[in-house]
Amino acid sequence: MLRVTLTADSLLADLQTAARIASSRSAVQALSGVLVSAAGDYLELQATDMEVSLRVRLSASVEEPGEVVLPARLLLDIVRSLPGASVTLAERSDHHDVEIASGNAVFAVRTLRRDDFPRLPEPPTGGVQLAAQAFVDTIARVARSASRDDTRPVLTGIMVHASGGELRMVATDSYRLSVKTTALDEAVSDSFEANVPARALQELSRIVAQSEADHVTIGRLENQVVFAVHGAGGPATISSRLIDGQFPSYQQLLPESVEHELRVDREELVSVTRRISLLAQKNAPLRLAFAEGQLQVSAQTPDIGEAHETLPVPFHGEAFEIGFNPEFFRDGLESVDSPEVLLRLTSPLRPGLIESADESGFVYLVMPIRLGT
Amino acid sequence: MIAHLDIDAFYASVELQRHPEARGLPLVVAGSGPRAVVTTASYEARRYGIESAMPAARARMLCPQAIFLAPDFAAYRAKSREVWEIVRRRFAVVGQVGIDEAYLDLSDVERPLPALRAVVAEVHEKTGLVVSVGVGPSRLVAKTASAEFKPAAFVAMGREQASAHFAAHPARTLQGVGPKTAERLTGIGIRTIGELQVAPAELLAGRFGERQARLLRARAHFHDDSPVETERIAKSRSSEVTFPRDVSDRSELEATMIDLARELADGLRTRALRARTVAVKIRLDDWTTVTRARTLACFVDDAATIGGTALELLRAYAPARPVRLLGVRVAAFEDEHAPAPVEGQLALPV
Repeated sequence: MLRVTLTADSLLADLQTAARIASSRSAVQALSGVLVSAAGDYLELQATDMEVSLRVRLSASVEEPGEVVLPARLLLDIVRSLPGASVTLAERSDHHDVEIASGNAVFAVRTLRRDDFPRLPEPPTGGVQLAAQAFVDTIARVARSASRDDTRPVLTGIMVHASGGELRMVATDSYRLSVKTTALDEAVSDSFEANVPARALQELSRIVAQSEADHVTIGRLENQVVFAVHGAGGPATISSRLIDGQFPSYQQLLPESVEHELRVDREELVSVTRRISLLAQKNAPLRLAFAEGQLQVSAQTPDIGEAHETLPVPFHGEAFEIGFNPEFFRDGLESVDSPEVLLRLTSPLRPGLIESADESGFVYLVMPIRLGT
Repeated sequence: MIAHLDIDAFYASVELQRHPEARGLPLVVAGSGPRAVVTTASYEARRYGIESAMPAARARMLCPQAIFLAPDFAAYRAKSREVWEIVRRRFAVVGQVGIDEAYLDLSDVERPLPALRAVVAEVHEKTGLVVSVGVGPSRLVAKTASAEFKPAAFVAMGREQASAHFAAHPARTLQGVGPKTAERLTGIGIRTIGELQVAPAELLAGRFGERQARLLRARAHFHDDSPVETERIAKSRSSEVTFPRDVSDRSELEATMIDLARELADGLRTRALRARTVAVKIRLDDWTTVTRARTLACFVDDAATIGGTALELLRAYAPARPVRLLGVRVAAFEDEHAPAPVEGQLALPV
């Protein structure tokens, strides 16, 4: 008969993550719940949508151990609005509910069926250990390129590859492709490669940010991957089904050589792109016209208007114009964090590359839009 | 701030464009069956006492010389699309509530009144239709104002101004007070909005119950906090505050920022939205206005992340003068799917 007291703030922080992971549209009601269990001196929250799962522990004063499933969203809303600094959860089995008390406020919330809630994988013992900050920074650089189109599941993942002193992540939605290679301070003990749903990695990023953990431990169980972090609050794991199917072999997609390689001030190109993109509405492309010593960025939307701006760039050779989806182009520029970017281009119908100019190992490939006249 | 836009005598105006010979004459758009009602009447016809929803037979009696036309809804829908398309190009948040009316949320529009005048002018120029505009702190004030001053209304009102201005109007003028409620109000001697404003709470509660009594009183005083509902997802959400006096104290600014972030996060959660871009808006006492934005690696809806990012942006800017207004905004929502492939977009062979 669960009875436990803890600080409302710490519960709130982890419930937010749990409520996001809990399924919002499953036929099984228990999947919209969070499994709350108390044992020893901690409370554990578990949530899953059968693809991505979360287990997180936080310290609590446990009077009686036990476990219950409560509706995640409602529990979150309640905890967020509690008047007191601490909260007590007490199961009342004769009522099939849990009393949530804080200050003078008391809620009694019906529990969901425990039996319908699946057993989640235990945190792995052993596994590959990586610096947490390097890991989430790498996610941040490629996540935008992952596809959100569920009809191509293999592209909704981020390919994570760690071996030796190197971590690499790759994502593509077929219109752009991001590759970030990060040098690790400590070499990994074992190599690791998997196509992980981008969603799981984004949730992991949040947990790391919240927990200020130093390390992420990655373990594999059959078709599952489990990320464990040990932060200030307590241990947390995100596990996820791995994505089936062959991830595109990205090396073959990156051009080996290009015709033009231009070093451009990133900030300047980003602001020009932002400004001119205002007139690239209704799917109109952003046009980049290169000529001796200069780049003209322009856009026009029928019935709306047009805009252009010229900036000096070290371009030599035969002039040409290439079109890009403005958002894709800007995403690439914004994912670079060096003061200068390398624009590497060949011709109007060949992929464009945006790379960091400081050899920090970031490459963003963006496919052009075929321009009319 | 909210604007209510209403196309004047919409169906009749469209018909007048198609039948210019009827210009200046009373025109009634109504079905032809025995139970048909008046869909709309031109202002000329309204002078004869003809109103929308009146039985068509009665309208014929009131004004036998009026021109009666059968409604052509396909034409009205096409024209309506033209109008709201023009409005949408200029304003991000458009909550259309009917074929001929919509609400705009103006909280993020820098100079709302000139922008509204411009859109009214553009609509008139391109479609020949006249839009009435009411602006106020709520939907209720905006709508009541546009209805009161139409046709060709362009009026902005505060809440108190509205309470005073409409005090002598029948209670029915208030949105949410239908014929039944009006009748029951009359039963306890309340006919006007002003009478409703000062009606004793017990009297109202006795007739309508606590809850509805409170709502009625609030409405009578033009209190209304319903947001503009958009049929499309808004592109961004923000919350901001203008300080009663300019603030230099950093800790006060930061505490305010945290509050704004919390308010915003609550709003996101109730709408089940997550956003990836967090921006702050800072207006100094000399009206210098800056915005700073950051796009995060993942979608967020929690006050801690939004507030933390907003604080970092505020600290990085470090306002050099007292601050007049502080705001935080989120954009780039998760539900906005990746842009559909554009014509001519080349793809990798994956």
